[in-house]
Amino acid sequence: MQWFDALVQGVLLGGMYAQYALGMALMFGVMRIVNVSHGDLVILLSLIGISLATSFGLGPFWVMAALVPLAVAMGWILQKVILNRVVGDDPLPSLIATFGLSLALQNLMLQIWSANSRSLPGGGIESRSVEVAGIYVGLLPVIVLVFATALTLCLDLMLKRTRFGRALRAAAADVEAAAMTGINPRAVYASATAIAVGILGFAAVFQSLRSTVAPADGGAQLVYAFEAVIIGGMGSVWGAFIGSMVLGISQAIGFRIDPGFGVLAGHLVFLLVLATRPQGLFGKS
Amino acid sequence: MTSVPLSPTDATLPKVTVRRQTASGRVALTLFVIALIALVAMPWWAKTGTIRMILELCCYIAVAQMWNMLAGYAGLVSVGQQAFMGAAGYAMFVLAQTFGVNPFLAIFLSLLVPAALAVPCYLLLHRLDGPYFAIGTWVVAEVFRLVASNMGWLNAGAGMSLNVMKDYSGFERNVAMSLLCALLILATIGGSYWFLRSRYGLALIAIRDNPVAAASQGVNVGRLRFMIYVAAAVGCGLAGAVYFMAQLRINPPSAFDPMWSNVAIFIVMVGGIASIEGVLIGTLIYFIADRWFGEYGASYFVVLGVMTVLVALYARTGIWGAISKRWDAPWFPISRHLILKAEDRA
Amino acid sequence: MMETLSTSVLSTHGLVARYGDFQALYGVDVTVNEGEAVALIGANGAGKSTFLRAIMGLLPVAPDMVRLGGQPIGGTPTDRMVQKGVAIVPEGRRLFSGMSVEDNLRVAVDQAERLGRKGGWSLSRLHQLFPILKEKARTPVQSLSGGQQQMVSIGRALLCQPKVLLCDEISLGLAPKVIREIYAALPEIRGQGTAVVLVEQDVGLAQSATDRLYCMLEGRVTLSGRSGEVTREQIGAAYFGGSHAVV
Repeated sequence: MQWFDALVQGVLLGGMYAQYALGMALMFGVMRIVNVSHGDLVILLSLIGISLATSFGLGPFWVMAALVPLAVAMGWILQKVILNRVVGDDPLPSLIATFGLSLALQNLMLQIWSANSRSLPGGGIESRSVEVAGIYVGLLPVIVLVFATALTLCLDLMLKRTRFGRALRAAAADVEAAAMTGINPRAVYASATAIAVGILGFAAVFQSLRSTVAPADGGAQLVYAFEAVIIGGMGSVWGAFIGSMVLGISQAIGFRIDPGFGVLAGHLVFLLVLATRPQGLFGKS
Repeated sequence: MTSVPLSPTDATLPKVTVRRQTASGRVALTLFVIALIALVAMPWWAKTGTIRMILELCCYIAVAQMWNMLAGYAGLVSVGQQAFMGAAGYAMFVLAQTFGVNPFLAIFLSLLVPAALAVPCYLLLHRLDGPYFAIGTWVVAEVFRLVASNMGWLNAGAGMSLNVMKDYSGFERNVAMSLLCALLILATIGGSYWFLRSRYGLALIAIRDNPVAAASQGVNVGRLRFMIYVAAAVGCGLAGAVYFMAQLRINPPSAFDPMWSNVAIFIVMVGGIASIEGVLIGTLIYFIADRWFGEYGASYFVVLGVMTVLVALYARTGIWGAISKRWDAPWFPISRHLILKAEDRA
Repeated sequence: MMETLSTSVLSTHGLVARYGDFQALYGVDVTVNEGEAVALIGANGAGKSTFLRAIMGLLPVAPDMVRLGGQPIGGTPTDRMVQKGVAIVPEGRRLFSGMSVEDNLRVAVDQAERLGRKGGWSLSRLHQLFPILKEKARTPVQSLSGGQQQMVSIGRALLCQPKVLLCDEISLGLAPKVIREIYAALPEIRGQGTAVVLVEQDVGLAQSATDRLYCMLEGRVTLSGRSGEVTREQIGAAYFGGSHAVV
């Protein structure tokens, strides 16, 4: 029963990680870029959300309604101002630019919000639980999982069914050939990053509802997103989703064994996948 | 001094020599030797505080140069070299404090640990594509930190102290620190220079310019990258062992501090990637900035971060890149120039 | 050239292009008239593909060096060239691997719609031209045969509704029967009023399929003339060296 509980907790934790991992998988798939400041953007959005909630007395839903468009705009600006200038075959410029951005963002947040941990008041939603098949599960984690599944589904449908999705997949497969077919790569890139960061707007609300956030937390979120993407296998949104579940379950079970072992268990599963199935659980070799 | 006549018997080819040293290079080499001697002689001209400060400076140079070898030449961008600094630091503390090995001997023995750990790390990480490699190195450093935090015989999260150093007099410790500074610079800067001028260096420059073309010319790209990765782990390990010996204390957050990656990246990118000159210039800038603006804390790091972004966007070759575009006077010349012999031209 | 500017749809004027330090084109003048088929022949490395890439905005060139309908458009980004009515069947086909035949083609349909390009090509017309593409609509492009892939690549370019279609070695690596099948589509393509530029290694094929031809050597045009009128000797001289001849 205790292990089943860990499994449930892990799946729910995975729902959180999926919301980070989707954007990272999308950006890497299309541009071969890893945005090192991915996790810091989650924290930045969370802190903005918390400040909005405390200043204007907004509930979580309204915070989300404000954060998602803001996140989309941030992603679009990030691409236009920084990433469009560093996208290319050489991974170094994009890594260095986003690494510098991460350093600047972390310390900027430290100045504005101080090093204290904060969380978003959820009006009781964070402590309520529902009974599912005999065990009590927190309502919030279930909502997180539902959102994560819905976001993954939407992203998958968008990629498969829409004009923009086809353009995105074409640019991911061969950007020069995509341009020869009339696609403007920079416009596609800007939209992809806007979506990737936009999803972080949802993630920020849930992250600050279910636990506390502090300016230095971004690095860990980046690492979880990365591990989820690699475990699941690059190049598919459902891979990122399943990878997030595997990571969440590993951490939850590790945590049950010893509280100091939780995060490490996730890392070890990641290394194990890298050693035995480097293309990821769902990747094609 | 390194003129090599090419095919002197072949009458159809013009006689050429390969020039590998320049006037600026000879001046710089002399200054380098003088600097090494000055480092060794520190106990006789510097106070303990100054020696400690210079030791920190030497560690920055060493770590930055190792990062430069990885990112600038081998095309391996790492944000987790602190893994090997901490690993060697801990190994040194365990050997000296737990097993009673002479601390100075322990520094050298401890280098086996980063070397041995770098092998499986590389074998796992090289499977990751481009930018994912970088994040992978970060995970490895995190794993090392978490393992150290959970290990009883490393005193877990509380860390260890190097009490055995109390057995040595202040002067003896200063002598040791000075010798280690000189050795650290000789090994990382001198070693890199020697490596870049060797036949491996040629292959490395070929990889940097175009990995695919280099591979087709018979350069074993994978093996060379592996060698550099292990060598960089050992170089960072040496810097870590020396740094934490001077600190006398080690704990998981300090041993595996990502700050080292921030600093190395800043130094190399601002100074100028893929050049030893850039590392020296970048370190000097960072060191002065740190002394002057370090007290501003967060805002200082915001500026550092923004500068790193700007360099990546607008000045990829850094300060040394801008200098060497204007003046061809390398301090550490590694290129080969073919010189036609004047008497044969007629 | 003998033709006047008013009928030329695409022309280059002293086109110069380089890859870094390596100069690949040394002042190339080529004119393509409306609805005309022009062949570009020459040995490997003569600069034929570079010429097409330079027109498509994949290499930096000065605006005046390339004109479309008389307007200077050199150096225009590739996607904007498509918008202006130039499409390319690139060397090596360059399909979007991992996507189905239909999705590959729909990308072009999408973009033509987005860019407001209208023309006679539709998926159903393309299926009449190459029936196999209908049959294989759901197949991932990487599992098609070389000839079928080439048909997808041509189809993708046609669905961009071009005024000028640039074809880079569409016969390369294909069986003679498949080449005939693909070349049989040319009259239909030209029937839409689309001008065609064919880069082709097979001189005989190039001569029979086009109105005029240009021969290139080391980044320069060494021969130009009516495809049916140039002799084997003239082509031989232009192919391997000699002076520029106008027939």
